[in-house]
Amino acid sequence: MSTTHEVISALLDDQPFDRQQLADALNDPAGRALLIDLATLRRMVQPIEAVPDIRVADPVRRGPWRVLAAAAMLFLALGGGYLVGERRAVSSTAEAPAPTRVVEAVPFVPSGGM
Amino acid sequence: MADPEGLFSANHGRLFRYFCRAVGGAETARDLTQEVFLRVSRTAIPVAADGDLRGWLFRIARNLALDHHRGRRRHPEPSALVDEPTRPPSQDVSLAVNEALRSLQPLDRDVFVMREVAGLGYDEIAAACELTPDAVRSRIHRTRLQLRDQLAAPIATFQTLATSSTGQTHGSIDQ
Repeated sequence: MSTTHEVISALLDDQPFDRQQLADALNDPAGRALLIDLATLRRMVQPIEAVPDIRVADPVRRGPWRVLAAAAMLFLALGGGYLVGERRAVSSTAEAPAPTRVVEAVPFVPSGGM
Repeated sequence: MADPEGLFSANHGRLFRYFCRAVGGAETARDLTQEVFLRVSRTAIPVAADGDLRGWLFRIARNLALDHHRGRRRHPEPSALVDEPTRPPSQDVSLAVNEALRSLQPLDRDVFVMREVAGLGYDEIAAACELTPDAVRSRIHRTRLQLRDQLAAPIATFQTLATSSTGQTHGSIDQ
């Protein structure tokens, strides 16, 4: 049966088949029973589980908003670094502030002598 | 180069259904379906026609299913549904189908499930399983006959259920 009825599998799978071979197979009660059983088998093997909505974030290609956010962060970091550096440069070249209290240094002389 | 997200969204239903029967269990099927996507997104997708791409995608899926089976042989886990006394008949049929599929040679099972459950064509299955289309055709037919013998009783039950629930046998042979 397996060879002569291969045409039934071809029919089920939408494959090209010989019309006469199919007619012969279906004239045979065993061939008809096979067709019914294989059609039933196809329905039986369908999973009862519903296909879930599977959404997976692409780990390699990120969305454009992430690229923009990264660029903005980089810009802020570079700009902030530039401003801090600029301020330090200005403060290092400016004149020292005027003293508010002057302490005069005198040589130390022990009071008791040697 | 094809877009991985487009490729995945066009095929995730087929992949999930394939895994449901190839490894059993919706949770595992879902995880493995996601894993296919992760692998695809890490790899350069070959430039090919849609059918060839599907074959390539299912080759990845098949390797994952084989890895899963190897892992399960090393760490067997008890089936949660085996001893449940009050299962509906449709679940009995589904368990019988899973048992029968497990008893097949891995290559026969994959070829059969890719055709009957995932709806792949012979060329796509040939690409996924590294066979010729002729080998796929004869393997599918042989596996159908084997399953028909193994599942004779569940097939009869299913036909009775289908007849009693609708008054007639579900007749469509198209997918």
